[in-house]
Amino acid sequence: MSSDPNHNLEFTKLKKSPGFWKEAWGQFRQRKLAMTALLFVFILGLIAFFSPAIVGTKPVIAKYKGHIYFPAMGYFSPRWEAVFTKDKFRKRYPKALAEKDPESWAVWPLNFNDPTRRVEADEWPGRPENPQAGGPSPLNFFGTDTRGVDVFAQMVHGTRTALLVGFVSMGIAAALGITLGALAGFFGGWVDMVISRIIEVVMCIPTLVLILALIAVLESPNIWQMMAVIGITGWTGIARLTRAEFLKLKQMEYVAAAHVLGVPSLRIMYKYLLPNALAPVLVPITFGIAAAILIESGLSYLGFGAPPPNPSWGKLLRLGQSNYQNWWLILFPGLSIFVTVLAYNLIGEGLQEATDPRLREGGSRE
Amino acid sequence: MRIRVQSSLILLAFSLVVVFSGCPSKPDYPGGNGSKTGSDEGPDTLLEPFDVPLLKDLEAKVEWEDRPVYDIMEKVREQQAAEKPLATVAEALKLKNTSDVANDKILSALGRLPESDADVNDDAEINRLLPADVKSTNPVLASSTYETWINGLTGFGLFSFDDKMEPFAPSDVVVSWQTSKDKLYDKVVMRDDLVWSDGKPITAHDVAFSFQLIMNPKVPIPAVRTGMETILWIEAYDDHTLIYFHRDPLATNVWNLNFPVIPKHIYEESVNDDPTLADSDYHLKYEENPVCGGPYKFVKRLKGREIVLQRREDWFMHDGKKVRHKPNFKTVRFRVIEDSNTALLALKSGQIEEMEFQPEQWIDQTTGDDFYKLNTKARGEQWVYYYFGWNMETPYFKDVRVRQAMSYCVDYDHLLNTLCYGLYPQSSSEYHKDSWAGPKTPRTPYKQDLEKAEELLEEAGWVDNDGDGVREKEINGKKVKFEFSVMCSNQQLRIDICTSLKESLDRIGIVCNVQPTEFTVMQERAREGKFQAQFAGWGTGADPFSTENLWGTGQERNYVNYSNKEVDDLFAKAKFELERDKRAEYYRKIDDILWEAQPYTWLYYRSAFYGFNKNLRGYSFSPRGPYSYSPGFDAIYTEQ
Repeated sequence: MSSDPNHNLEFTKLKKSPGFWKEAWGQFRQRKLAMTALLFVFILGLIAFFSPAIVGTKPVIAKYKGHIYFPAMGYFSPRWEAVFTKDKFRKRYPKALAEKDPESWAVWPLNFNDPTRRVEADEWPGRPENPQAGGPSPLNFFGTDTRGVDVFAQMVHGTRTALLVGFVSMGIAAALGITLGALAGFFGGWVDMVISRIIEVVMCIPTLVLILALIAVLESPNIWQMMAVIGITGWTGIARLTRAEFLKLKQMEYVAAAHVLGVPSLRIMYKYLLPNALAPVLVPITFGIAAAILIESGLSYLGFGAPPPNPSWGKLLRLGQSNYQNWWLILFPGLSIFVTVLAYNLIGEGLQEATDPRLREGGSRE
Repeated sequence: MRIRVQSSLILLAFSLVVVFSGCPSKPDYPGGNGSKTGSDEGPDTLLEPFDVPLLKDLEAKVEWEDRPVYDIMEKVREQQAAEKPLATVAEALKLKNTSDVANDKILSALGRLPESDADVNDDAEINRLLPADVKSTNPVLASSTYETWINGLTGFGLFSFDDKMEPFAPSDVVVSWQTSKDKLYDKVVMRDDLVWSDGKPITAHDVAFSFQLIMNPKVPIPAVRTGMETILWIEAYDDHTLIYFHRDPLATNVWNLNFPVIPKHIYEESVNDDPTLADSDYHLKYEENPVCGGPYKFVKRLKGREIVLQRREDWFMHDGKKVRHKPNFKTVRFRVIEDSNTALLALKSGQIEEMEFQPEQWIDQTTGDDFYKLNTKARGEQWVYYYFGWNMETPYFKDVRVRQAMSYCVDYDHLLNTLCYGLYPQSSSEYHKDSWAGPKTPRTPYKQDLEKAEELLEEAGWVDNDGDGVREKEINGKKVKFEFSVMCSNQQLRIDICTSLKESLDRIGIVCNVQPTEFTVMQERAREGKFQAQFAGWGTGADPFSTENLWGTGQERNYVNYSNKEVDDLFAKAKFELERDKRAEYYRKIDDILWEAQPYTWLYYRSAFYGFNKNLRGYSFSPRGPYSYSPGFDAIYTEQ
């Protein structure tokens, strides 16, 4: 008798069912397109992060007069190059390094080209000057633009802008949207009333026009302000979804139980409701990232993008428009914008299918 | 035929033109921002009370000197007869414009006037490009170059100037023009066979009335009023005799004589009811269908699409007799196409017959047979210079050494040969070397020399001591980093030029932020002095006196806040000097002082690049492009 219950216990010990997110990830993983897209965005992230090491004219690491330096970081701040500026390198490293310190050594980026200027003749020993508006060649993989600046270098460094715009603006939008949507859904009543009206008002603001107005007013517009505007106007869809999810979830028994146990409202919102409400919200965020990238490209194309000389895909397209005979100015950036936006959309779609059981039959579960 | 550049003359004389390389020019007129523009209160005129003397009293005391009155077409024809064409028309039409020699041949062969009027196909229509629509058809309200193109054909004026910027009165409208020996009076006798397009005669009273109207502060005149304050009064003694009374005896008075003339019988009453000339139904009617005094009149106007002008029979025929040259085209159609790529496609397909090119269009997009099938192209040097202006109120550019360092820093080779495709000559003076006030021996222009730039900066105290890679200087106990913005209009070439400056400055430890700015915002900031550096351009005036506006202490367009007592004095002396040689000496001295001080880094002259349909003949270039002088467009024709 005494061994029976033990036996029974072992028998009835159920395999722990996978959690919601684990289940969703399992679903998502089986979608080949979505996974490829995710991999693509991941690689893009790596390219953006390591852009100065992939293509540039500044050594990634250099030993100079007994010290180690990272001049490639000069693409972010002149401080990293201060020593060299002082020693009159004048941003032309290969020869100056050898001349001023024969002991020096340097690790160079994979491709010697600059995203903001033309590479001069013999700047790298034996290398000719970049051609002006030259087609793709072994020295300039994607050709050069009308200034003689390498297109590949601009594309690689432009990846930073593209990804940053997507993530930062949608980060802002998500933070705003989820917070406000949660408040509205959870508290209901006049809070809901006020927030819903705010949502409606914000929805009426055309992002592009607001950005154009902002650019006209600001003394020195930069890309961060643009991201902020896209974020501040783009949160409404997210807020609405979050609100709806909260309205639904707060009726659940476990929430009632939590109330009865005296769990504070904030904790209920963030610990009990939010994780369950998040899944449908992730989808518009992903699509939002794609939209933000398009907006940035569009603005750059119109000439209102990141301040020069920061390279961006949209700017290259703009150059291509007035120099349409240089097809490489249109093809490569156009393709990157297309593929990146497509990738985000595929990820969004995959997420949607993975998190919504009703869509699963349509998925590829086999 | 006569030149009808009357209003552009005014623009040219008094306002230097900020030129867009995209849209050939969107001038900026000081008249628009002065305190003199329309307000509802105050007097009806800006003129001081004037005691008009009797004509016979005046004639008794004044000694007159004749001034040139002639037919410019005849003069040009005579000039051309003396030159042998470098090529025949057939040869020129086969040429591709790839060299100076080819360009000279094309202009020489195709730029010739017809041997006689019989060679002109006077039933022809011409389709011209209008890169932006006009705001108003009323010539006194004109404010852009494009408006002056139209008003040049439809409007009426008494004076003009030729390709050497020499003023004259066209014999088409004027019988005689005299100036008093003391330069205080001008006397003009008009022809009596001139009529408005509604059939009423054009008289001296129209001229005097137009002057009064322009000087009425209630009328919002955007541009043409500027400079006219030097005229005390204009009196019409009879229907044809006019006397201009000047405030001071200046050699430059002649440039203030010209202004657009509008019909007195149309506007005399209505201007009191509606001083805007644009709002009332009555004025709207005449805005749509204006009464014209020039060789052409409006027949159709579709906003944002096209403007069609038609030749006026009563312009060249009077009482059944031919009294003037017959204008070369029966119809002039202006097509509004704002995007220059679209315009180029229209030119290639023959929808328009002339347009101005961007440098990259000249180099890359107009070299193939698709272009040469219907068109040919030509270029000419223009006196429109571009510069970096350094705001001397800022802590950076107060010091002359810093400004010189900036000039040494610019990568002229990259800028001129790559960005501008080697099409533009470098400029090294305020006055063009070919103008009478230009330097006697051309100066050696600046070359990039970073070594020297660094030396000058260090002398001026800008050194990187704190190891952040950027130079700084202690000013009044505060550390100031050498980081500034350069403002330019939102156009690729301009942004590229500023970016090239940024790259060069970056090499010697100076941070420069490029700030592409919308054109009107840029104008506003420039006027308010809210900028550190800017890239912009000025078109030439007909006479160097207009540059006082740029360099005199506290002057309207002295955006960089340049101030030098000696320069001010020289301008004042040059103003009251009547002899050209002496004036030239003063202006040369000013030029030398400016060159030493480098308040601007003078960069290049923007040449004019135009495509013309192969049917067109008679075009030639002046320092102000192919149209804004005399004969300009009037000389263009198609062969029979």
